[in-house]
Parts: sequence; C-alpha cells; structure tokens
Amino acid sequence: MKKFFAKFLPFNFQDFWLSSAILAGATVTCAILRHADSEGEFVSLIFVLAVMLISRLTTGYLFGTAASLVAVICVNYVFTYPYFAINFTIAGYPLTFIVMLLVSIMTSAMTTQIKQQEHLRAETEKEKARADLLRSVSHDIRTPLTSIIGATSTLLESGDYLSHDQKVRLLEDTRSEAQWLIRVVENLLSVTRMGDSQTYIDKKNEPAEEIVGEALQKFRKRFKTIPVSVSVPDELLMVPMDAILIEQVLANLMENAVSHGQTTTHIWLTLSSDGTDGIFSVRDNGSGIPPAQIPQLFSGISHSSDNRTVDGKRNMGLGLTVCKAIVQAHGGTITAYNLPQGGAEFIFRLPLSHTQPNSKEVSR
Amino acid sequence: MKIRDKILVVEDEKSICHFISSTLSNNGYDPMEAHSGKEALSMISSYCPDVVILDLGLPDMDGLEILRELRSWSNLPVVVVSARTHERDKVEALDLGADDYLTKPFGTDELLARVRTAIRHTRTTSEHSEIARLGTYTVGDLVIDYNKHQVLLNGENVHLTVNEFRIVALLGKYSGKVLTYAYIMKELWGPRADSDNQILRVNMANIRRKIEKNPAEPQYIFTEAGVGYRMAEGE
Repeated sequence: MKKFFAKFLPFNFQDFWLSSAILAGATVTCAILRHADSEGEFVSLIFVLAVMLISRLTTGYLFGTAASLVAVICVNYVFTYPYFAINFTIAGYPLTFIVMLLVSIMTSAMTTQIKQQEHLRAETEKEKARADLLRSVSHDIRTPLTSIIGATSTLLESGDYLSHDQKVRLLEDTRSEAQWLIRVVENLLSVTRMGDSQTYIDKKNEPAEEIVGEALQKFRKRFKTIPVSVSVPDELLMVPMDAILIEQVLANLMENAVSHGQTTTHIWLTLSSDGTDGIFSVRDNGSGIPPAQIPQLFSGISHSSDNRTVDGKRNMGLGLTVCKAIVQAHGGTITAYNLPQGGAEFIFRLPLSHTQPNSKEVSR
Repeated sequence: MKIRDKILVVEDEKSICHFISSTLSNNGYDPMEAHSGKEALSMISSYCPDVVILDLGLPDMDGLEILRELRSWSNLPVVVVSARTHERDKVEALDLGADDYLTKPFGTDELLARVRTAIRHTRTTSEHSEIARLGTYTVGDLVIDYNKHQVLLNGENVHLTVNEFRIVALLGKYSGKVLTYAYIMKELWGPRADSDNQILRVNMANIRRKIEKNPAEPQYIFTEAGVGYRMAEGE
C-alpha cells in the first residue's frame, strides 16, 4: 500500500509549490485577460493548459488530479457567473470538469510512462556495462590461467627433460601470470568497494604524497628495473579521497605504462595542485597510445578484440575503466594523450575540499 | 643440535599451509600446522610456539576470536594473514593485539621479514635492544637518541618539535611493526584523543620533510594506507 502511494501519489514539496505557482499564474492571467474580454471563454482553456503543465512537470498522478479539481472549482467560483459562488448547474459545466480531469490523468500517465522508460533504458545501459566488464574480466582471467596450467603441467609431466633454465623460465612465467591475475582481482575489488551507486565514496582528507609514496613503493617491489622519478609539492597537499582506491588508480597507470608502453624505460610520477584540484600525472617514455585507441581508451571496450594480433592478452580495458570509474566517483576527471617527444601521459585531477587541510592547531 | 624457533601456522587452505611450512623450515624455523581454530588453541597451549601465523578465515571460528582469546592470557607474537583487503580488517586485527599483518597474496620475503620482526620484538624485551643498551635506535643514516630527545640525520640534529619527536620515538621503538593511527594517537594524545587523525598526518608530513630526501619516497617511515605507519628496521 505504501508502495502504491509512493509510486502514484508521491508527495513532495517541490511539486507542491510548482503546482501552486502554475495555478496562481493561470488565475492571474485570467484575471488580467478578463479586463480585455469579459466573455471569459478562454478561462477554461487556460486552466486546461495549466493542468496539463502540472501533470507533465510533477511526478505521479497526485498533483495533476488535485490541480484539475482546484481548476474546476476555481473556474466555477471565480470566473463564471455568478462570480464568487459555487454553481454546478451551469450548462456544459460537467463537461469542462470531465475534460480537465481526463487531460490531467492522461498527461500524468504519459509522463510517468516516459519516466519509466528512461529508467528502464538507464538500467539496460548499466546492465550492458556490467556485461562488458564481465566479458573483459573473463578474457583477462582465462589467458593467464591457460598459461599457468600449461607451464605447471609441462613441469610436472616432462620436468626431467627440461634444462634448468627452461624450468626457471616456466616458473617465472607462472609467477608473472599469477601476479597479473592479482591485478585483475584487485581491480574487481575496487569496483565492489565503490558499490553500485558509483556516486558515494567514503572520502577522507589524505596527504596525497603518502598515497603516491605507497603506490610507488609497491610498484618498485614488482618492477625493480624501471626507474621512477617522483616529485611532490613542497607544501603538504591534502586531498579528500578514498586512499585505497586512488592507490589502485596510480598502480594501474604505472603498470600500464610498463605493460603497454612496451619500450618504457622511465616513469615520471608528479603531484601538483592548481588551488582547486589535486593533479596526479603518470608519464612514460614508451611507445605511446595507438592513436586509434585514444577516443575509447577509458570505455572498457576490449581493444584486443579489434586487434588480436597486437596483443591478445594484455587488455587495457579493465584497468583504465576502473581508473575512470574511481576518479569520476571522486568528482574528478582523467585524461590521456601522447607526448610529442614520445611516450604517454595520464593525468587525473581530484577536487580539493573547500575546508582547507588543517585549520586545527598542529602542535599541541 | 641447534634449537629452532617453533612457529605455528594456522591455516585451513592446505596448499598455502604447505608453502608457508616449507618456506619456514628451509629458513631455519620449526613449523607446525593447525587447520582449524580449535586445533590452533589447543596446540598453542600445549606447544607454546614462539610465533603464531594466523589466518583469519578459518572454517570453525573467526581468526579474530582466536586472537582475542589468546590475548587474554598470552603476549606471544601473532602475525595475522588474511585475504580480507579492507583496511578496516587490518586495523581491527592490529588493535586486537596482532603484532603484524600480511595480506594475501604475499611473497616469501615478506613473510620471513614479518616473522623475524615478530621474534625480535619478543626476544629483545628492553634489556637487550639497542634502545635499552645505548639509548639510541639506528636505521641507515638516521639515529634516534632517546636520552637527548633528538633525531640525527647524518650526524646532524634535524630539530623535530616535541610531538614530532614523540611520534618518531614511538615508531622507532616498534620498528618493523605497523602501528595504527589510533594507537599512535592514543599514545601521544591520550585515550580521549580526537578520532580524527589529521594532526598525526600533518605532523608526519612535517617529519618527512625533515628526515626524508623526498617525502614521496620515504626511506625511514612508510605509510600503510588507511592503517598506519611503519618504521624501517635497522640492521
């Protein structure tokens, strides 16, 4: 029952005031027009228009129906002879009333339907995004698993015939594939951490340099050979964020620089601020982003499906899709472009809070 | 024969248990295995291991329950291992008295480092540690002088404020161990400290500007996002 009321007769004050304003507007218009034309034929028409507007602009049936009642009474009481008296015996009056009621109900119904369709379309799109994500994930998981199973089977079944170097190589492959799988899982965890809404995130003021530092430290553990130059502002920069998620973004961007930059030998990680945003940049000197991929880089579309020969497995999709989702959920933006001197740069900006870092006394 | 440190591995996943045990025995420890919470508790009381490596996701009871029960009568070092990645879980385990925390997946190096730290902290109860003998803690070019209340970098005083020194001193005392924000706040500002840890974070940023070459590439004090800080271990 409650649900029924919520769906068809939802009451909210915004709609209430809107309806009142429109009815008042109609009344005033009629009052003004009556000076020019005392016949008053237009009165009903203007009120029908008002009722239609209200039905269109408010949610559910409540306000449209209520407005038609008010309009009928208003027309009868104020604008029909005898003025300022209710008289329902006037010829044609019941018809006016019925027409108004019908207009209001039909418009409300149409509006509700349109809104439902919009909602449905949004749901479908969400569903499609989820399916895309799942497809991309299964793809990202299946390939390394194949390689792990293959390598370990080879070791178990024909380990005696392999040289030491061959064994080491198979084991190294297995380890790196497993590490790749961890990344996929961590990205998925980030998605679940953000939840469905993707609008609400538990943001806390964090010293951005700490997060940059930690992401860097973890990166160095995995990629010992790639030097990273990092620079942060002298002033402490506090950025409201979910630290774990932003660390994930930085990790994805740095690892992408290595795995997709192909020829990357150096990474630059820079933190700065323009006063309104915290700006994080990850730059590399690798082979850059293939220009054809730039427009849909963050869309999560599996690029490898268009271009299997280039890179069957190292799908860029998931990592960057997650980056974009995280940054957007923080109210920020992420962009990517190729640098004229070669290599790519990914920049994301997170809005700084209005309450500046620390108004509190630092040393008590 | 050399007496080896006994380590109880509490983990229900056989393959992980196997890999931890073989790593430990190859590195001079004496591992034992428990596959359930009940088994773990009875083994702890009968064998008195030197360290417990405790998985939080056990079939019969929550690892945190074991930790709570254990802490009611023992201080033996516990390194918690878990697949739970949410920092809340880490903080909870650490605040319940776990000595350290490893998130799955972890490497053997990491595991061994945590076990070493845990053992060292029980061994060196005051008398033997560098801090107790010399009144200093040394890591790399950094020296914390507990008697003079100074921190020296390459032999020069870095002039920390009182609170900055207290933070560094505390982390130095528990070097290698992650200390939660809440723990540090409580130690420095008392039990009624603000639940907001901004003061600590800002102090830490200032400390880093004084002792680290680049605050984003710390060599001495590391951040564990959402959990706390960890001081690098001295040689």
